[in-house]
Amino acid sequence: MSKEFSIRDFALVISLAVVWIFFYCMDPHFIGSRNLTNLAIEFSMASILALGMLLIILSGEIDLSVGSGVGLAGGITCVLITQESSVAAPFAMIIAALVVIVLWFAMGKLITSQRVPSFIITLGGMLVFRGAFEKTIQNDTIAVTKGGEENLLSILTTHYFPGWQSLLIFALVAALLYVSMLKKRQREKEFGFEVEEFEKSYLKVFVVIQSLLLMTLVMNQNKGVPLSFLILGITALFIHTLTKHTAFGRHLYAIGGNKEAAEISGINVKKTVTMAFVILGGIVAITGFLQVAYQGSSTNTIGEYMELDAIAACVIGGVSLSGGRGSVGGVLIGSLLMASLLNGMTLLAMGSADKFIARGAVLVLAVWMDVYLNKGRK
Amino acid sequence: MGAEVLSVKNLTKRFPGVLALHDLTFSLRKGEVHALCGENGAGKSTLIKCISGIWPHGSYEGEIKIGESEAKFLGIEDSEKAGIAVIYQELALVGEMTVAENIFLGKEPKKGFLVDWHTMYAECRKLLDQYELDLNPNALLKDLGIGQQQLVEIVKALAKNSTVLLLDEPTAALTDKEVEKLLKIINQLRSKGISCLYISHRLDEVMEISDRITVLRDGESIKTELTSKMTESDVIRNMVGREIQQLFPERNSKPEEVLLSVNDLSVDLQNENNFALENICFDLHKGEVLGIGGLMGAGRSELLMHLFCSQGKRVSGEFKFKAKSLLGNTAGESIENGLIMVTEDRKKLGLILDESIAFNLSLSHLKAFIKNGLVDRHSEMLENRKYFEALSVKAPGLQSTVGGLSGGNQQKVVLGKALMTSPEVIFLDEPTRGIDIGAKAEIYELVDDLTKEGKAVILVSSELPELLGMSDRILMLSAGKQAEIIDKQDATEENLLRAAMKYS
Repeated sequence: MSKEFSIRDFALVISLAVVWIFFYCMDPHFIGSRNLTNLAIEFSMASILALGMLLIILSGEIDLSVGSGVGLAGGITCVLITQESSVAAPFAMIIAALVVIVLWFAMGKLITSQRVPSFIITLGGMLVFRGAFEKTIQNDTIAVTKGGEENLLSILTTHYFPGWQSLLIFALVAALLYVSMLKKRQREKEFGFEVEEFEKSYLKVFVVIQSLLLMTLVMNQNKGVPLSFLILGITALFIHTLTKHTAFGRHLYAIGGNKEAAEISGINVKKTVTMAFVILGGIVAITGFLQVAYQGSSTNTIGEYMELDAIAACVIGGVSLSGGRGSVGGVLIGSLLMASLLNGMTLLAMGSADKFIARGAVLVLAVWMDVYLNKGRK
Repeated sequence: MGAEVLSVKNLTKRFPGVLALHDLTFSLRKGEVHALCGENGAGKSTLIKCISGIWPHGSYEGEIKIGESEAKFLGIEDSEKAGIAVIYQELALVGEMTVAENIFLGKEPKKGFLVDWHTMYAECRKLLDQYELDLNPNALLKDLGIGQQQLVEIVKALAKNSTVLLLDEPTAALTDKEVEKLLKIINQLRSKGISCLYISHRLDEVMEISDRITVLRDGESIKTELTSKMTESDVIRNMVGREIQQLFPERNSKPEEVLLSVNDLSVDLQNENNFALENICFDLHKGEVLGIGGLMGAGRSELLMHLFCSQGKRVSGEFKFKAKSLLGNTAGESIENGLIMVTEDRKKLGLILDESIAFNLSLSHLKAFIKNGLVDRHSEMLENRKYFEALSVKAPGLQSTVGGLSGGNQQKVVLGKALMTSPEVIFLDEPTRGIDIGAKAEIYELVDDLTKEGKAVILVSSELPELLGMSDRILMLSAGKQAEIIDKQDATEENLLRAAMKYS
């Protein structure tokens, strides 16, 4: 397992390096502290959604409606905050989140109990929610704050942790990564599994910690580590724990691997898949909040094509569309690649047409490369 | 005897941690049926994979020759071109296509750009007639029984003008009548000069059909001998390297309290041919093995699946488990109640093939390892290791992928998964299908131990000796109806068969 992954991840990391070097050559501002901070925020938004999508794809289903859901969640929140009898931002967010979670629960139920394919249900959801979103904001641009007053929603992407706080967070994360690496190795040894050389494990963790430190230092030159980056960290930890260390997560892998066998093994397939949709609903709401906070307002275009970016990030990160295979680490690298690409192209002031073409090309190229590498291994 | 059409010299194939084949030498003559016997993991499948190019030239040491020249197959296409066809345990056919379409898949007769349907069906008819097969070229494959599908697979290989057939457990899923037909076809092929490498766990077939037998053990060729000079027990002794004194353990059970009872049960199975279970009635006692027999399609698996996870629609009757009436129970609820099922089709219904042995073993029992909402990997792995060792699964370790194991070892993983839930009643649906005699004896031993602990077992089997050897009572089904329950001391192969055909 671990060996297979390093080949795939290695290829992805190289592609990532190529993309970064390319944009750096085109415009050195790409790795400036300002742009890196922006990239961190964009990356956070993209990968939080992709991590939610991971749960669904692991179970062998798909969700095409998340983009519209992101728009709807943000739209409801903004309307509630800015209307005449204004609702406080935290309450507005809770209401919007509840609405979205209920919608996703309903879709999950339809898919599992009525046996309608998730592709169809969520394709319907994509259209219906997009319509509901446009009705909610009435084709207007609705600000995230009333009268420019800062609130919980608006600070999501505008709050930064100043220098010492950033370093403290970094130190905690670094310690967590290192300790969990040691624990994992100890456990594997105990079970009599093949354990990779210590130098290799150490090097991996070292590289990740070093890049995090570098990022923290660079972002500290600007305003510090953005709050949204921390939200991503928490989400990633949550999804990782959920998929690898809970019965629910194991069941997702089993269902994606062999649905009938999972059912006979006593797994409640309907409940598990519905639960995955409910969790994704929550993540869609969070992404919706982040999106409107980043744009400063809710407009028609919010959330457009986000479902495709999320699916693409998963696939690039090695998640199998037929279910049963994939990990948080892969998805994070996959979405970092996509986010870097978009950010760089925006920096170079490329038109939206070119952006579409480039993203599509990278998706196809990445998957082809993965297939090619897999073939060599078998 | 004819010239050697296929010869293997000093073949060695290594996998990480395992020596699958060791310095193996073997030959197949023209018009010969050469049987390959060995326990699970003895290297039979690996040998077939080397010969057919699935393990390409260069991934093994040694030499494989077709006729006079060395074969350097890089893939299955190469070996097909050289006239080798493999017939697997798992069928490689398309359910939604007709018999003729399947047989000519990939080499459809054409008129210009278009498929020449007329010729295709005529050719197919000719092939089927030639081997006296009673199959309709227009029938959809999914509507055929598994035995007939197996025959289609063989005809498909013959349509390619293959001269060497590698048959890997072709009869594992066949009824006795179908086996007879298959053996007849193989005889015909032999007289036409086609050579067959025949792998089967059914020694009676091997003795009947083969000219020579090669016994493999732990990747080495132990013995090659003319079949006429060997007896079944010679083969078994060579396979296991020791004498199996007794396949079935001595059973003496006393009827104890009733654990499970089925009363006048009728079930609409909701399939196309209006097949149903009618008026099934039996009790299962603590410490008892109840055998369920019947012909293919008598409704044996369907009965178990209805009791275990409510497949089909209950029309009438009652199912009581530990004095609790169950209806509409899911598999999860049954497992919680202390019921477990080991399904017939382990690949489709038993295992998550891409996952590890550890993942599969604990899958039904994860709840027991939850600490603070998380799976406690430590206690999970201890338990996994216990079953891994108790069942002596042959694999490098718990993290090995289940899909790569041999049939018998996969079956052990399925059994381990079932036993880990500490059930009181165990449904075993064809637990020894396609596994070797050594593993069979182990499984019988295990069943006997379980009943000694007071657990009860329902054993569905197509093999009459197995039913007779293991069961305390035998319930015979015939076309969905209960024909008879026969006590062990009164049961003979004849009256079991008579009961099986009562309503058909």
